[in-house]
Amino acid sequence: MKPLISIKSVTKTFTKGKTTITPLENLSLDVPRGEFLSLMGPSGSGKTTLLNLIAGIDSPTSGEILIDGNDISKLSRAQLTKWRSVHVGYIFQLYHLVPILSAYENVELPLLLGNKNKAERRKTILAALDLVGLSDRAEHRPSELSGGQEQRVAIARAIVHDPDLLVADEPTGDLDRESADSILDLLNRLATDHGKTIVMVTHDPKASAAAHRALQLEKGRFAKEGHLLTPA
Amino acid sequence: MKLAILALKNLTRNRLRSLLTILGVAAGMFLYASVQTMQHSLSVATESSAADTTLVVYRENRFCPSTSRLPEHYLSTIERIPGVRQVIPIQIAVNNCGASLDVITFRGVPPETLKSYNPGIKVIDGSYDDFVNQTDGALVGQHLAERRGLSPGDKFEAVGVNVTVAGIISSDAPQDENVAYVHLPFLQQASRIGLGIVTQFNVKVERADQLQPVADQIDQTFKADQQPTNTRPEKAFFAETAKQMIELIGFTRWLGLGAVFAVLGLVANAVLLIVRGRVKETAIFQTLGFSRLAIGLMVVIEGILLGLVGGLIGVIGAMAFFHFKSFTLGNEGLTLALTPSTTVTLTGLGVAVALGLLASLYPAWKATSRPLVQSLNS
Repeated sequence: MKPLISIKSVTKTFTKGKTTITPLENLSLDVPRGEFLSLMGPSGSGKTTLLNLIAGIDSPTSGEILIDGNDISKLSRAQLTKWRSVHVGYIFQLYHLVPILSAYENVELPLLLGNKNKAERRKTILAALDLVGLSDRAEHRPSELSGGQEQRVAIARAIVHDPDLLVADEPTGDLDRESADSILDLLNRLATDHGKTIVMVTHDPKASAAAHRALQLEKGRFAKEGHLLTPA
Repeated sequence: MKLAILALKNLTRNRLRSLLTILGVAAGMFLYASVQTMQHSLSVATESSAADTTLVVYRENRFCPSTSRLPEHYLSTIERIPGVRQVIPIQIAVNNCGASLDVITFRGVPPETLKSYNPGIKVIDGSYDDFVNQTDGALVGQHLAERRGLSPGDKFEAVGVNVTVAGIISSDAPQDENVAYVHLPFLQQASRIGLGIVTQFNVKVERADQLQPVADQIDQTFKADQQPTNTRPEKAFFAETAKQMIELIGFTRWLGLGAVFAVLGLVANAVLLIVRGRVKETAIFQTLGFSRLAIGLMVVIEGILLGLVGGLIGVIGAMAFFHFKSFTLGNEGLTLALTPSTTVTLTGLGVAVALGLLASLYPAWKATSRPLVQSLNS
């Protein structure tokens, strides 16, 4: 089966003063559609850089990143922004909900970029909130929600426009064990039941164990491949 | 629209900062609108138009009503000059010849001629007949009446002249609303100028293009007299006679400019602070797919809203202030009513919006120019 994500010989370098840093070097990776992939590694191993490249937030110095057959490494900043608005849902470690907006309004944000009318948006938002189990918290502001609930809203915001790809940067890093397990279970369901391809960066081995496949990154290269579950 | 709603919600985040910025903008725009009101009132009083057909005959080389003395009998001579439609002799008495904010001006006119000469005058309280029949009767302009709390039947005194209010008038000429019309002989005697002496003649000509020829003819006629004349179109007369006041008002232009720059700096500073406090959130919006244009627009809309709300408070406040306070600038016996106008209101609001837009352009560029990864890591 054709992979959703196909990374070919990607290198990323930064220049900091007179020093050149290479967080990723000649890295290749295929991620099949519907896979829940975990990226692990110590700080500075390049996992967040790789996540940002896959999400189209950053561009590689060399190599190709094909998402569903489209080479996003060739896209301009404006084209990448437009591409992200359709194809990517991003889940942050600290949720990053807009504090003055309700859960409903936060989830609505990606839909404001599309052509859906108010009624269509409402239906989609309520479905997304229902999927993450927060339909009764729609009118609550982030300050009125627990950390786990905030992350669920953030996940609803990431999936509301029905992207193929979800990228999650330490989605359970700020949560207690119980909430973390619940979020991991939700991500797993999104991959398994809804066919979303998920790439998650984590430091937590337990979180990594919830994924279908885990990859270890060290100094910009894959060190070892962990367990592999076949997506249902 | 969606972006505007988001921008509006963003402004409610730091309510104190937004409120203080709006108050600052309101103060600046109040000053700007006040200055513009003075400028506008002055231009209405001094800029000639094709519809102007009035000349003022004054004593040559005299600039104050107390020194301009002309024989009343010039009236019949002026009336015979070709092109002249109507003439009215006026005796003027003022409480202050210099620049003043509370000038009281009496205009002594033949009571039977006033209505036909100046049909724009409307008696809104009291009666014109009372004025005609009462020797010490006065028709008081409504702004002067408001300032002094006068109503028909009241007596008041200024410049040593005691009059009884016969009516309150409004007029399409703002200057009329700040004077008191009294009987000419009464004022001549009460002000001790003496019967037969007037300050000026106001002359209406048939057509605007006759203003200069008729003025030249009048001055030529009295050139050899003991009291030679200087005749000018009414607005030119105002512009030349009230030079000090005009220079003073001209100077206020700089205050208006200062207010504009203060508002610009204030809004720019506020929007820049907003943008700096939301670097990460801006990056989140971009990650969600909001374009740089959309984010820049949101910042610009916030700036415009700050300018608009502050502008509304400041400009409407200034207009209400001038409406209720009825200020009149006086100089050399001439009065300049500072009246609120729709033009100044709309211009003020336009300037406030433009300042909000201008002030937020740099912050908008700043908000969107930073690399996304760098902003996310901030």
